[in-house]
Amino acid sequence: MKARTELIASAAVVMVFAAGPVLSPLAHLDISIVSEVLVTSIAVMSVNLLLGYTGLPAFGNAAYFGLGAYGVALSVKYLDVNFIESILIGIAAAFLGGLILAPFLLRRRGIYFGLLSIAFGQVFYFIAYRYTDVTGGEDGMNVPRPPLALPSAHVAVNELAMYYLALVLFVVAVIMFRGLVRSPFGRTLIAIRQNETRARYLGLNTDRFIFVALLISATMAGLSGAMFALLINFADPLRLDWHQSGYFVLSMILGGAGTVWGSLVGAFIYVIGHDIISTITQWWQIFLGALFVACVLFFPRGILGTVDVLLRRSPQAFTDDDVDAAFEAHAPGEVGRGV
Amino acid sequence: MASDAILLEARGISKVFGGLRAVDDVSLQVREGTIHALIGPNGAGKTTFFNAISGFAFPERGQVTFRGTDVTRTLNWRRVAMGMGRTFQTPSIFPELTVDENVRLGVRAHAKQAFHLRTPGGAAKAAVDGRVDELLGFVNLTAQRDRQLSELAHGSQRLCEIAMSLSTDPVLVLLDEPMAGLAEAETDRIMGVIRDLRLRLGLTVLFVEHNMRVVLSLADRITVLDRGKLLAEGTPAEIAANEAVRSAYLGEGVLDHV
Amino acid sequence: MIEHIGPQLFNGLVLGAFYAIVALGLSLIMNLTGTINMAHGSFMTLAGYLAFTMVSRGTSFWFALIAAPLIAVIVGVIVERTLVRPLYKREPFYSLLMTFGLSLMAEEIYRLIWGPNGVPFSPPHALDGAASLGFMVFPTFRIFIVVVLIVAIVALALFLTRTRFGLRLRAAVQDSEMIAALGTNTQVLYAVNFGLGIFLAGIAGVLAAGMLGLSPTSGNNLLMPAFVTVIIGGMGSLFGSIVGGLLIGIAISLTTLFIPAASEVSMYILMAVVLMVRPRGLFGEEGIFG
Repeated sequence: MKARTELIASAAVVMVFAAGPVLSPLAHLDISIVSEVLVTSIAVMSVNLLLGYTGLPAFGNAAYFGLGAYGVALSVKYLDVNFIESILIGIAAAFLGGLILAPFLLRRRGIYFGLLSIAFGQVFYFIAYRYTDVTGGEDGMNVPRPPLALPSAHVAVNELAMYYLALVLFVVAVIMFRGLVRSPFGRTLIAIRQNETRARYLGLNTDRFIFVALLISATMAGLSGAMFALLINFADPLRLDWHQSGYFVLSMILGGAGTVWGSLVGAFIYVIGHDIISTITQWWQIFLGALFVACVLFFPRGILGTVDVLLRRSPQAFTDDDVDAAFEAHAPGEVGRGV
Repeated sequence: MASDAILLEARGISKVFGGLRAVDDVSLQVREGTIHALIGPNGAGKTTFFNAISGFAFPERGQVTFRGTDVTRTLNWRRVAMGMGRTFQTPSIFPELTVDENVRLGVRAHAKQAFHLRTPGGAAKAAVDGRVDELLGFVNLTAQRDRQLSELAHGSQRLCEIAMSLSTDPVLVLLDEPMAGLAEAETDRIMGVIRDLRLRLGLTVLFVEHNMRVVLSLADRITVLDRGKLLAEGTPAEIAANEAVRSAYLGEGVLDHV
Repeated sequence: MIEHIGPQLFNGLVLGAFYAIVALGLSLIMNLTGTINMAHGSFMTLAGYLAFTMVSRGTSFWFALIAAPLIAVIVGVIVERTLVRPLYKREPFYSLLMTFGLSLMAEEIYRLIWGPNGVPFSPPHALDGAASLGFMVFPTFRIFIVVVLIVAIVALALFLTRTRFGLRLRAAVQDSEMIAALGTNTQVLYAVNFGLGIFLAGIAGVLAAGMLGLSPTSGNNLLMPAFVTVIIGGMGSLFGSIVGGLLIGIAISLTTLFIPAASEVSMYILMAVVLMVRPRGLFGEEGIFG
């Protein structure tokens, strides 16, 4: 029954988005903004996997997002690639970035992990910022959409096509993400978040699980970044910056940490909110900062997290009691782990 | 019942915390098939010693041998794979998951399914289900299997933790103050389970305990620590009669009724 | 090229002293409460702008050097008491998000008040010119910066090791429950400790404004190297922050000389190497943070 309800609700959401090109003009939204929501929510999901499910304060996912974007931008500029190839190169760049950083990150937990993820995440920012000859530095790079991979038919990818591609990728991502967090592997990640010490005393090498989670997360963020660059036809160092990571984390918390659909809700509020408020006022950043503060103080479970608690359904949402218990059981900021 | 084989041996374990010698040159042998208690007044270093044995924190000096292998610096999850299970003073569980899921995680880990991206079906699933049922039956939690663990009483959480530590098929179970924070009735229930660990499952048990009634009625061997040092070792009768032990416990009143 | 190495090493030392003092403030706050203060750079910028306003209204630089950080401390303690304190019992990323939001707001507010572009903030004339140290000539202001930062660090060290309050603070880092049991008011400790961290940031902010420039984001530019400093020095170790800061400062200055494009990347390479050899950082203590 519950599974049926979820299926119907999910199908309804997808249907609404499928009708996006018809509906968005009614809401005075540009279709490319809705594409941005879909693409961004994949990056938010990548943070959710680490922070919401595994309990790792992942504040550096912009690195993989930006690598995806620059993978596309550089391949379009310097290699003769088609649309699909450029995305694959973007994903590969992000995956490689994850492969390089993961060994450093997975040694640590708690705030130390947060600190490492912020610091290491920024390394690609400085590279993109400094290697002006290749990356254009601060000015960023234009990313003209390459033709689709149809032999000898150089079909340009227009906004509508981008939208539906984003929708398809989003739906695939949600289905895979949902399967992932419900699989034995995903349950193990949730277990690590709740009590890593116990997970290790069940004979699990938790570092290995975290390593794989990091790589999956980097790949998802890379896909999102690659699509993002193609969507806005631009890549710049700010996509790699820790601010960008913070926006992903905020969106995740807004939507609901540890919930499958929370990423879409959070990305929706963030992207649309940004679009609307920044047209009204030039002081958007004050609103954004206030949103961070308000969300942390008054709405730490996020929208779907709160709904879940009201429905007493998901065992995955954060609750203050658990957080308190976890705090008391361990040193501040560090998940008890033992050796 | 007790064979002579030494299952676990700790030699000359020392651990320093902030200039304080929490454990100083302590040795201990646990023989196969015994129920071995580790006791001592508050601050005697029992838990620190326990952590060194179980790989929670490595000792500065000394050697730990388990099943004939040196495990002094072996990572905790590897020790579990070698057949060592442990519980903690505060039940170390997954509070937001159900009793069933808690135990299932352990069973899956042991069946090498924790990494799977798909819940296995068929025989593999039946094997896991069967093992979960068996473990829940052993600790008598079958009725509560679908309850979230955080909703259950402390004693039930402890039982679930014991079931989890059994899910990896250990030969040695380390229990850190299994009666801590429990009411009398719950204590009796856990005592029954600890007896069954040896009687029905043939396991070896090493436990830290405060409650002297529990220690004297459960243990075959008792090791006493005091201020980080080994004070005495022997059978319950020997320990109860030991002058040094009595004076170490003086004022705590725990031996008064012996 | 070679003749530039000496002055550049000195510049590295100055830069390193900045990183060290920012990292010290971050470490103080992080060690006691587990809060990664993303708004640390904003407090630096705030002190810088306050000093700029004071000096441009005719106040002396010397007064501003102390007064501006103190005002930043007042703002900091108010923020800590009202916004950060409720989060101490939550998972640490909540306070990280909170201070991140505050830094976003601060940046925009500075832009509103002092304009989006950098403002000129020059050191007093007494510190103009250069001083010869016999073998080499250095700008007086930079020597002054090094002296002030060294004094601040020594004062902090004395405070933490020689005063009752400082000793309590250090004990609280080891075990906050024990301190509560001993009757020390933990809340006062938290507030004073936060204020102390902001004061260090404030001094660095005023001095950095004179040397590196002052804009709404100038403080944040020092934040990332300060994070790297904490990691290299080892979390939980204040001494590590000092050593880490100097190491990075020198590494960045020397790479700037030889391979300008790699100047920031060099600190990451340093960090990666340190972490490979010592996962806890150079002076990271075992046990406190895993």
